[in-house]
Amino acid sequence: MAELARARRFRPGPRLVSALVGGAAAILVLYPIAFLIQASLSVGDPQARPPEAYGLDNFADLPRYGHIFANTVSVAVAATVMAVVVGFVMGWILSRTNVPGRGALEQLMALPYYVTPLMGALAWSLIGSPSGGFLNQVWRALGGRDHLIDVTTPYGIAWVMALFEGSVAFVMIGAVMKSMDPALEEASQVLGAGRLRTMLRITLPLVLPGVLGAAIFVFAEMLGSFSAALVLGLPSRFYVVTTAMYQLVSQYPPQFPRAAAMGVSLFGVMFAMVYVYRRVVQAGSYATITGKAFRARAMDVAGLRWPLLGVCLAYLGVAVVLPVVTLLYASVQRLATAFPRAGNFTLANYETALSLDAVRAALWNSLLLGLGTASIGVLLMGFLAWMIYRSRLPGVGVIEYVLMFPQAVPRLVFAFGMLWAWLIFPIPIYGTLWLLLIAYLTVFLPLGLRTIAGVMLQIDRSLEESAQMCGASWGYRMRTVTMPLLRPGLVAAWLLLFIASVRELGASILLMGPKAKVITPTIVESWFSTSTELTAAMALLQTLAVSLALVLLFKVARRATQPAGE
Amino acid sequence: MADPLAPERRASIEVRDLVVRYGAVTAVRGVSFHVAAGEHVTLLGPSGCGKTTTLRAIAGLEQPESGEIRIDGKPVFSSTPRVRVPPEQRGLSMVFQSYAIWPHMTVFDNVAYGLRVRKLPPAEVAERVGRALGLVQMSELAARSAAKLSGGQQQRVALARAFVFGPAVLLFDEPLSNLDAKLRAEMRLEIKELQRALGITSVYVTHDLEEALAISDRIVVMRDGVIEQTGPPAEIYDLPRNAFVADFVGSANLIEGRPRPELAGPGLVALETPGGAIVHGTAYGRRVGPRACFSVRTVHVRLSRERPAGPVNVWPATVRRRVFQGDFTQYHVDWDGRTLVVRGVTVDPVDESQTVYLSVEPRHCVLLEDQSSG
Repeated sequence: MAELARARRFRPGPRLVSALVGGAAAILVLYPIAFLIQASLSVGDPQARPPEAYGLDNFADLPRYGHIFANTVSVAVAATVMAVVVGFVMGWILSRTNVPGRGALEQLMALPYYVTPLMGALAWSLIGSPSGGFLNQVWRALGGRDHLIDVTTPYGIAWVMALFEGSVAFVMIGAVMKSMDPALEEASQVLGAGRLRTMLRITLPLVLPGVLGAAIFVFAEMLGSFSAALVLGLPSRFYVVTTAMYQLVSQYPPQFPRAAAMGVSLFGVMFAMVYVYRRVVQAGSYATITGKAFRARAMDVAGLRWPLLGVCLAYLGVAVVLPVVTLLYASVQRLATAFPRAGNFTLANYETALSLDAVRAALWNSLLLGLGTASIGVLLMGFLAWMIYRSRLPGVGVIEYVLMFPQAVPRLVFAFGMLWAWLIFPIPIYGTLWLLLIAYLTVFLPLGLRTIAGVMLQIDRSLEESAQMCGASWGYRMRTVTMPLLRPGLVAAWLLLFIASVRELGASILLMGPKAKVITPTIVESWFSTSTELTAAMALLQTLAVSLALVLLFKVARRATQPAGE
Repeated sequence: MADPLAPERRASIEVRDLVVRYGAVTAVRGVSFHVAAGEHVTLLGPSGCGKTTTLRAIAGLEQPESGEIRIDGKPVFSSTPRVRVPPEQRGLSMVFQSYAIWPHMTVFDNVAYGLRVRKLPPAEVAERVGRALGLVQMSELAARSAAKLSGGQQQRVALARAFVFGPAVLLFDEPLSNLDAKLRAEMRLEIKELQRALGITSVYVTHDLEEALAISDRIVVMRDGVIEQTGPPAEIYDLPRNAFVADFVGSANLIEGRPRPELAGPGLVALETPGGAIVHGTAYGRRVGPRACFSVRTVHVRLSRERPAGPVNVWPATVRRRVFQGDFTQYHVDWDGRTLVVRGVTVDPVDESQTVYLSVEPRHCVLLEDQSSG
């Protein structure tokens, strides 16, 4: 009994572990960025490593590529406008009106994000390329001239990007609309203001910072987006910064320093955007986030309910149903055409896809990498999240800042830095899956951290403190209290990391070696070098794998969160 | 004689010159007090006065800037020489304001946690948890998931979890503030009885005066990070040192005035108010400064229709407002060019605008400590 009052002596020294892990993660992020900057300043022989001489010539050269920067900005602006309109309209319908099937629709709004811009681009290319697009075939069959739509134009590319970024904008804007206390609007109405006046004077100013924040965030993402511009723009030689970089690096001889200068410029702009985004969100959050629990009030829109439902379904139709159905339709044809013809249907594309060693190996590698990234990532990011948001150790603010860097760097640009950095690394991991594993772990740090932090910040600190007051050591507390409570967040992060890794393109396309291919770049290669039908089949096989993981996500997450909620 | 759950030893707590800073804000500025072994001391004060910070510093959950904290005579925190014992090794326990019941465990597992940390054999764990749950009347709910408990039930589980492993010190951080008024009054009594039965040294933080008066052996009144007064509940209530304590601990009228020693009766102090009234009070050994002030509890002022007998402290006054409050009736009375608040029993109430006689015994006019000399 006497030993009861005394606590156990063992302590694993979280301070030292934190310093080591935090430092290692920061190096993972900063090492490639340092090499990216070094490469951009190299003015000697472009192939020489380390650089023979340093200077700003590469940056001085950039005005030559002015049209590429102009392309990037116009595509990004168009896509942002469309995505924010989609996000605002959908956010308003689904969080502020009594549209039928609200709950189900809200769940379905996540789907466009999982369809991925690459699949969307492949599908929309099949639908709307000027000569062979299905829609244009139908248009000509009906007596139309030339083509109805052309998705290989900047606006076409922006349209495809916006369809998928729309669901991201929806999540951000919807959250702002939901977090607004309805009492603020009710107070205005009680004081005699009409519905329109309330909307203009109260609702709009309150959600405006949130909408602005979403717009900036989406714009930054669009500046760095890669796959839609690659699939739709490359054939017609329409380049944005990321595809131009890819071209400069993959051509012979490669123009590393020039590509690096482009990457650094893009990084700088996006970094500034993300900074502004944070400022806007911080400045605007006071108005709507009360932290008090309330039920979001749904406005009765009476007769408008069905038209609004139509709007929601139309969006899901063009962003999810149409692309998937199109790919499915193309994948079961010998020669993809808009009009069904008996004898043209076949399952040969699936047979081919599954029998090609390269495809099988790539899919296997991707699943393996997904498994590795998700498992290692959850451990690493779970610990980092605890360290940043819970440990109150000195210096964690700086670590958090550094770890969020990859959010402001397009994955392709980041991979470029890694390419440069790891080529000279003494352990030969270049061209192996190990390099991809490191790359994924680095570029998905913000994704994993944010997911886990979202759950962690909801766990009251006193739950851990009370374990401490019961005499539990750090390790014991982690095992019995922190980890079990974090489980829903860890499960969600695991699946998100898995899905994101399996379908990753921007980093993989630069870093994968000829003997260690992964699936998404293989699909893109197939698109440019073999048949569209086979590519469609491959894309759907990949989606099937991702979907299975998604089903798992909803099942496990629901089971994991239920006992925790009151 | 003691309950089997009572602690092996009852530790004392010594807090000396404690300073806690959050960035630029100094939450606690030089607090010193002592809690004797087995004593129940309450830190009382308005929100932001530093009471919770002080408690968390004792627990080790807050890192003070300077000062010293000793538990059972051994330093657990000290700025010079540098000592920092982590919370889990201080041998104390705590009930949190949010209860901090782990939702992923059953009631039993919550309570058993501290025992399992100490690697007790399962049989003893079961025995002790059973006894602890019995003491808080939660025996039937042992197998229930903690996520399915009401606020009051969570409170009881938190309590059982805190004392089950026999800590030398029990800390309470506003444990009742999230309960409704009726349940709060009930739990207040239970906590007091439990504390007495187990004889655990306790430090209790609250902003609720009634709670503090009801359960404490001694009260430490805090404001802005410093201690305003320390003493047993009755002393704090009857003899407030200054206007803040008088006002915060119960409701009081403050009557300021110029000393008129030549008018004072034997053993009394007389003050002349700005309105010219002469008020007689008692110094209780305190020094009379050039500007002095009496604290008069609202319940100690009497209203009567007939002039009461008595040589001093009787004045005519007019009832301006009467507020019915159930157990008592509160009157706002115009007197001496100002308003006095009077609380009286509800039977036979005096009407508004009625002129009445106001009286108060000199022993209930308590002279506050002289602030001018520091």
